[in-house]
Amino acid sequence: MLTLTKDRALALVLLIIVAVMWIESGDIRPPTSWQPYGSALFPRILLVVIGLLSLMILVRSLLIQVPERAGAKQLLKEWFQKRRVIVAIFLLFGLYAALLPVVGYIVATIGFLVASLALLMGINTRRKWVINLTLSFTLTLVIFVIFRHGLNVWLP
Amino acid sequence: MTNFFLQALAEVGTPSVLGLIVIGVLFGIVGGSIPGFTVTMAILVVFPFTFAMDPVSGVSLMVGVFVGGYSGGIVSGVMLGIPGTPSSITTVYDGYPMAQKGEPGRALGIGVMASFLGTIISVAVLVFFGPLIASFSMNFRPWEITALIVFALTLVAGLSNGALLKGLLAAALGLLITTVGYDRNSNLRFDFGIPALGSGFEILPVMIGIFAFSQLLGNIEKLKDEGSEAKNIDTNVLIPYGRIMKDMAGQKLNTLRSALIGSLVGALPGTGGTVANFLSYDQAKKFSRHPEEFGKGTPSGIVASEASNSAVAGGAFVPTLALGIPGDLPMAIMMGVLILHGITPGPMMFEQNPVLVGAIYASLLIGAVVMVLCNLLLVRWFAKISLIPQQILVPVVLMLCAIGAYALNNNLFDIWVLFIFGIIGYLLWKAEVPLTPLILGVVLGNNLERQLFRALELNESWLTFLTRPLSALFLALAVASIIFSLYQDRKIQRSKTAAQQENL
Repeated sequence: MLTLTKDRALALVLLIIVAVMWIESGDIRPPTSWQPYGSALFPRILLVVIGLLSLMILVRSLLIQVPERAGAKQLLKEWFQKRRVIVAIFLLFGLYAALLPVVGYIVATIGFLVASLALLMGINTRRKWVINLTLSFTLTLVIFVIFRHGLNVWLP
Repeated sequence: MTNFFLQALAEVGTPSVLGLIVIGVLFGIVGGSIPGFTVTMAILVVFPFTFAMDPVSGVSLMVGVFVGGYSGGIVSGVMLGIPGTPSSITTVYDGYPMAQKGEPGRALGIGVMASFLGTIISVAVLVFFGPLIASFSMNFRPWEITALIVFALTLVAGLSNGALLKGLLAAALGLLITTVGYDRNSNLRFDFGIPALGSGFEILPVMIGIFAFSQLLGNIEKLKDEGSEAKNIDTNVLIPYGRIMKDMAGQKLNTLRSALIGSLVGALPGTGGTVANFLSYDQAKKFSRHPEEFGKGTPSGIVASEASNSAVAGGAFVPTLALGIPGDLPMAIMMGVLILHGITPGPMMFEQNPVLVGAIYASLLIGAVVMVLCNLLLVRWFAKISLIPQQILVPVVLMLCAIGAYALNNNLFDIWVLFIFGIIGYLLWKAEVPLTPLILGVVLGNNLERQLFRALELNESWLTFLTRPLSALFLALAVASIIFSLYQDRKIQRSKTAAQQENL
């Protein structure tokens, strides 16, 4: 069983993407007499380049000996565990994007700031809570006022 | 030339635009002085605020951020011993020791003055070479432009931290991103049945996503590894003006040399402030009569570093304005700003928008003056602000990125684009893929495709790219840059294995 490394994972994922996009590029309108090169040529050239480079990275990574490690599943699990905070921030951001149109800018933004500040700063002292809440509320409102009244941009 | 410059000066000289330059400089210094925030991030955060402005106001604000940002590294470098941006690493070498010897004010003053002179000299370089290169490149036809873009991409890919394959891969991925949506012939590509993909990805959310998430979350990871300790720093700094003037009087040649190195490095694609300050520091040391003093708190070291990194600002505008090809990340974003305001950077800009070009010159000059005043008067505050912990900074900046992406078109889809490319950027960064070539690819992709096919429509033979002398030259340079970085990679690998064998 081959050990998963950064380079191998990168190359494999990219090769899959190249394959999917190559198939999808079949849907692009074919060349005509007045468009002799067609719209698929440029992306296909890029896909070939990306595919070749990924293959080269894959081959090179296979030539380098790496110490045997646990299986891919185990490695991915460890990777995520080590980066729990990062994953949580991504999730919070996704939630923020999803809630913006539903609850509006002010509520969603205050929610996002309070939650992510609490996650990163911790909530073990009263001082941290004070900083967190003051910052979240004032900043949200200041940005709202600047965009709505200063720049005439309507926020959701 | 003087005519349009005066006209531009009149436009930039209005109170509202001057106010924007001051805000930009202040924000740039703050951004530059917070370690791990970088000039690029400062520009990205300010960018959305320019959407509703007229081009001159928007560009002036952004130029202010540039000038402030490149000088902002001095504060944290001198006071904390941490470079605020990678472009001020060598400032720390001599600025911090000088501050430790009880002269932080002197170190800051020298740095700020060097920054100021560096910016001014680089503007002179820009004013002189910008139009010259632009008028030369007016003769470029689609073949030359195609070849030049290819050369710029391979150069940037090869220069990114000794990983040529991944650099090229990143550039190609960046180009591929631009092929999503309707193309120049109104043919739909890669929409995967999702209607929102039909209009393709906006450059801005893609750039912010790729750059900001990897950078900010990387900062958080670093924090975890190193553990954060609160530093207690005396921010009460006195500036000894007389002493600084005396110091600077002895640094004329060093200032000029460093500023020219900075301008030149800034004008080359793929380099920027980080390379400039190392190169110029090294040169200053070689030319110095007292090289042994470097690293122990000599004014020459601070001057070499700060004059060169500030000069990058002016130099980097040369290829962006004259050729329409940005050399580094901040410039790629600056180009995004210009495009957003309906201006296509390139040789035509000097003819079609001379006032805007003049406004860039004028804001650089005014920005430099404002930068000196702000730094000298408000140094205590900047030192305090630079202590803002990443834990607070990251959520705030992410929120600003989201709002910025949304404000672009009042479109929620752009926030999702930001999010998706945030994840992609973070994962690529984790896989050690350099992100600068990718972002450059995103900025240049549409133009590359347009020029390539215009060339082929004019003459269907691909060989034309090799029979036209200039286009052949650019392609040869592209190949040469690949070979050179292959050679560099080898050398790095060899020294790595040698080091490993020694350890065994």
